[in-house]
Amino acid sequence: MEATNATPVKYDMDVVRWFTIAAVIYGVVGTFIGVYVASELAWPFLNFDIPEITFGRLRPLHTNAVIFAFGGCVLMATGFYIVQRTGATKLWSNGMAWFTFWGWNAIIVCAVITLPLGLSQGKEYAELPWWVDIMIAVVWLSYGLNYVMTNAIRKTSHMYVSNWFTMGMIVMITYLHVVNSMAIPVDWATSYSIYSGVQDAMIQWWWGHNAVGFYLTGGFLGIMYYFIPKQSGRPVFSYRLSVLHFWTLTFGYVWLGAHHLQYTALPDWTGSLGAAVSLAMIIPSWGGAMNGMMTLSGAWDKLRTDYILRFLVTAMAFYAMSTFDGPVMAIKSVNALSHYTDWTVGHVHAGALGWMAMISFGALYHMVKKLWNTEMYSDRLVNVHFWISLIGAVTYVVAMWVSGIMQGLMWRDYDEYGTLTYTFVESVSAMHPYYVMRAVGGAIFNLGTWIMLFNVVMTVRQASAARGTSPVAARA
Amino acid sequence: MSDNHNSAGGVPTTGHIWDDDLADFTNQPPKWWMLGLTASAIWVVVYWLMYPAIPLAINGTYFKGFGLPGSGQWTAIKELAEDQAVLDEVRKPYEDKLKDMTPAAILADTNLSEYVARSGKVLFSDNCAGCHGQNGVGTFQTGKFAEREKGYMAPILNDDDWLFGGEINTIHETIMGGRQGMMTPHKDMLSEKQIDDVTLYVKAMSEQGKDKADADASVAAGKQVFAESDCTACHGADAKGMPAMGSANLTDKIWRFDGSIEGIKQTITYGVNAGDNARVAVMPNFTEGGKLSAVEMKKLAVYVYKFGGGTPEAAPAAEAAPAAAN
Amino acid sequence: MSDHDHIYSTKFQDKVERSTLLMFIMTALTVAVGGIVEIVPLFYLPNTAMCQNDPSCNNTQHKDLQGNTIPMDKIVWNPVTSEHKSLAEWVPGDGVRPYTALETAGRHVFIREGCFLCHSQMIRPFRDEKDRYGHYSIAEESMYDHTYQWGSKRTGPDIARLAGKYSDEWHRKHLKYPRDVVPESVMPNFFFLEKNPVNVERTVKTMEVMTKMPFNPVPTSIYTADYIAAAPEALKDKTEMDAVIAYLQSLGNHVKFEEGVNYRD
Ligand code: HEC
Ligand code: HEC
Ligand code: HEC
Ligand code: HEM
Ligand code: HEM
Ligand SMILES: [Ca+2]
Ligand SMILES: [Ca+2]
Ligand SMILES: [Cu+2]
Repeated sequence: MEATNATPVKYDMDVVRWFTIAAVIYGVVGTFIGVYVASELAWPFLNFDIPEITFGRLRPLHTNAVIFAFGGCVLMATGFYIVQRTGATKLWSNGMAWFTFWGWNAIIVCAVITLPLGLSQGKEYAELPWWVDIMIAVVWLSYGLNYVMTNAIRKTSHMYVSNWFTMGMIVMITYLHVVNSMAIPVDWATSYSIYSGVQDAMIQWWWGHNAVGFYLTGGFLGIMYYFIPKQSGRPVFSYRLSVLHFWTLTFGYVWLGAHHLQYTALPDWTGSLGAAVSLAMIIPSWGGAMNGMMTLSGAWDKLRTDYILRFLVTAMAFYAMSTFDGPVMAIKSVNALSHYTDWTVGHVHAGALGWMAMISFGALYHMVKKLWNTEMYSDRLVNVHFWISLIGAVTYVVAMWVSGIMQGLMWRDYDEYGTLTYTFVESVSAMHPYYVMRAVGGAIFNLGTWIMLFNVVMTVRQASAARGTSPVAARA
Repeated sequence: MSDNHNSAGGVPTTGHIWDDDLADFTNQPPKWWMLGLTASAIWVVVYWLMYPAIPLAINGTYFKGFGLPGSGQWTAIKELAEDQAVLDEVRKPYEDKLKDMTPAAILADTNLSEYVARSGKVLFSDNCAGCHGQNGVGTFQTGKFAEREKGYMAPILNDDDWLFGGEINTIHETIMGGRQGMMTPHKDMLSEKQIDDVTLYVKAMSEQGKDKADADASVAAGKQVFAESDCTACHGADAKGMPAMGSANLTDKIWRFDGSIEGIKQTITYGVNAGDNARVAVMPNFTEGGKLSAVEMKKLAVYVYKFGGGTPEAAPAAEAAPAAAN
Repeated sequence: MSDHDHIYSTKFQDKVERSTLLMFIMTALTVAVGGIVEIVPLFYLPNTAMCQNDPSCNNTQHKDLQGNTIPMDKIVWNPVTSEHKSLAEWVPGDGVRPYTALETAGRHVFIREGCFLCHSQMIRPFRDEKDRYGHYSIAEESMYDHTYQWGSKRTGPDIARLAGKYSDEWHRKHLKYPRDVVPESVMPNFFFLEKNPVNVERTVKTMEVMTKMPFNPVPTSIYTADYIAAAPEALKDKTEMDAVIAYLQSLGNHVKFEEGVNYRD
């Protein structure tokens, strides 16, 4: 795979470089907070009686940091990278892209300040105060508009498959964010949702699930469809599969939100709608996973030497796994057990660590090499990072699956007299070893991100030293 | 890169190329996958027809689905009823009897006691242990940190010392009606010195027993305060407490709150459930708002009694019990 | 670019792939369907719209499995028809009511501290949850919960029916240092709540905002001008600890559930 084509000058890549560096840094920060949050559950003294870092305030900071800071920067870096290269055009507006960059980072700074202060709207993954919600809408639209317009001015006849997915994400996240964030402010720090009870719950999980489905999955599938073929030097396995994968996923995922609310005070029909489609989602999801994996057919030997490809392919395996785990959890009888337990958390992180973070790492390494037109400072460290991530992710996920199922079984266990066997606190103490194991797995995973940061910094420094320019603005 | 066009078994690409070398093969999706996709679509439709899934209002409710052949229409509440029935089947022989028995009779019935002991565990731990500790051992706050209070949150229940009485019926009453012992504050009634004196006397009674303490000249001042103030009105002349008002026995080594000098002094100075700085001792009423059912409260009475500290004398004999209505 | 333009999918798909606008429109339409089907009916079906268009809550459309009318007026408190005419007179069992001033302040603390990340407030209709936590939750019970608080994780127990289970003093001790009373607990210490006074201005404004919500607002027959005007007095000298305890003590005792009645249809 030879590097960039002969005329790199035609692209606006500076903003992509900055997003890339930001993503690497936020990867370290977000997972570090995750480790801290995990440790608080294992050793509660770590709350240190400091309101700003108690579990209830730090947990949203973790989710926002990994989803919006890390995930967002990865999506924007790759989005701008892919749309230019597959469209053979510069960005529609480079200036607007910079606005997106600074705007997005300003939002992240606001999150870092407001969440520890407890400025929460009380909705998962949508905790940020109302005025930050407005900032998000503006910055997101600047990203979306620029993206769509760059597509519109492309030089290629067809839109590449990655861009379908990214466009789907942009449209859906706009809907979700706008509808779910509707609230009436009380003061600058506080606002309350205009919806209440069952209606609010359904809208929240319509948002919650599709933030997962279109942002953490759809957007990252766009990454997958570009970087796996690129890194392996092979065409996508099947065009028709891409088409079917895209439309079935786009149509189907939207229905899934209701699987978060089965057996709750919502009427039964909502849960059934969601559960049925959730199960049906295995096939479309696996189609995507296969399309990625089969792209390597005939090139499997590359995995022996290409560590970046290892990340990308392992991510596909985790994608397949978590899109099996999820549908199983959506089955009524399984959800009755798994809901409210750590099983959900295990499922989340199989997707987050194994799929979303791994595919990001692969894409980031690939881009660093291309963007600075160099080789990695150390390929061995890429390999070390790969193994560390894998061990960390598996440790985390296994711990949570075991603890989650155990929790669920303990809560509902009856003895031969027909009376509950375990008290609630017995289940709390039973979780301790698994909470420790999760913290350790998370710490291992976090270590990998530090290695990546080091490797990327050294690579960039090496590249700019060779060229004698400043590290980031390598080429104005 | 043109060699890509015809690799993998000679399948061509679509002919479109992006970014120098990105292309799509025209492979068909695997057969199993296409079959799976079709099956999934059918599955969704069938499922939606069988289970309640169609949000159309009909006659004040929504369409409940056709149901599985033979087994009727599923709803979450029907599922609950079925699961509950299985459980009730196991519990029925016991619960039927419990319904009409007094706690004392339950206690006397050895067949039922194991059942009640088992069902009491989670009931007690999830409702009572927060205050009385797992298995009734009490929850002692160490007061290690400046801001923390020291002493027991609520009485220890697995000993044979009782504030209100350890008879099965008394315990039952406590749970049904709650308790709120009262002790007047003495900060305005007694001088600082008098409080110090009586504190030392109370401490001495606990450590040496009442007789020795009475003979101990070094606490004579306190003895006088105890006798002349209002203490005996509640704790009795013998200082052994009065179950009727839940006052504590001051002649044993068991402390309701905290037996350190400062702890005793605090109780005497500010009193119990008596306003500012007083010790707060409220046992909630579990009948109110249907928090626990009548049978559950009976179970708990027996369960608490069986911690080992119940007071047997007053428990009526088994033969008297079945007659007593609840 | 290719020499020929053979289409390997459909003509329409090919057209969509060529046109940014068309792709945009097609995805925008495709992703709208599921959400509309699942969300919109909740705003008009009789079993979820709650008292939406019926201030007397006399929703005779709401029927249980056997087709019996569920007595909505016994589920949702209505000061006009109830013998208890004001929030101060309300007693448990009168039906679902909005929060008092102090509880409103406490609810803000609850959200701020992220309690919902460890505690659910949604009891499912399972026998074990019934034994552990009480009667299953129904839609009306959270109708005044703007920003619902059902939660999605039980690191701690469900608290949907916590009211009256412990004394205020217990809550005070437990919230300050949970491990003092429950040694196995992993809940953070919230002693600092005792040091913060309640924010009166925000609480009053919150109550005003609650009456202006487009869906399920608090009726002004409950949050009367007088009631709101009296709020600062009710909140005087209260700490956030008092407030959150008041909130916790209000959870789950509003409706008097009767044996054998189905409350979900
Ligand atoms: C909020 C804390 C709290 C809870 C919950 C609680 N208790 Fe108590 N309990 C107390 C306190 C405080 C006292 C002492 C009351 C007094 O001193 O006036 C007490 C007293 C008692 C007594 C009398 C002890 C004696 O020495 O006479 C019994 C028996 C008892 N509780 C049983 C129970 C049972 C059974 C439950 C659960 C259904 C329960 N308690 C729940 C706080 C609690
Ligand atoms: C109005 C009745 C009343 C009066 C008067 C009263 N007490 Fe008490 N006292 C109680 C009750 C009731 C308790 C148990 C508190 C509880 O658990 O609810 C108690 C508890 C105590 C305790 C704590 C015992 C322990 O185990 O921790 C001490 C010490 C004590 N009293 C000393 C005194 C002295 C000394 C006086 C007189 C100066 C006095 N009391 C007067 C009712 C009274
Ligand atoms: C880190 C997770 C966590 C957070 C955050 C948390 N809790 Fe808890 N909570 C627990 C655990 C675990 C228990 C069970 C053990 C115990 O009783 O302490 C519990 C128990 C409780 C109980 C007792 C419930 C019962 O029925 O026994 C109450 C009430 C409570 N928490 C309220 C709160 C409030 C209010 C907040 C926020 C200010 C909060 N919790 C935040 C974990 C948490
Ligand atoms: C070192 C790695 C990580 C660790 C140790 C970690 C730890 C945690 C912990 C302890 C929680 C709270 C679970 C609970 O409440 O019991 C959590 C929640 C969550 N984390 Fe992570 N995390 C890590 C990485 C990530 C990444 C990379 C993502 C990417 C998206 C992510 C997404 C989430 C989400 C979405 C939740 C909320 C789950 C839910 O509400 O069910 N995490 N994480
Ligand atoms: C077809 C694919 C999927 C299905 C059907 C599915 C299904 C589910 C189900 C049933 C739950 C539990 C809901 C509950 O009981 O509360 C859940 C939770 C979750 N899933 Fe998935 N899942 C899928 C894929 C993914 C992927 C790929 C990710 C990756 C990042 C992901 C992230 C999450 C998150 C973050 C939650 C936690 C939500 C919460 O906060 O409670 N899911 N999913
Ligand atoms: Ca005792
Ligand atoms: Ca969650
Ligand atoms: Cu979901």
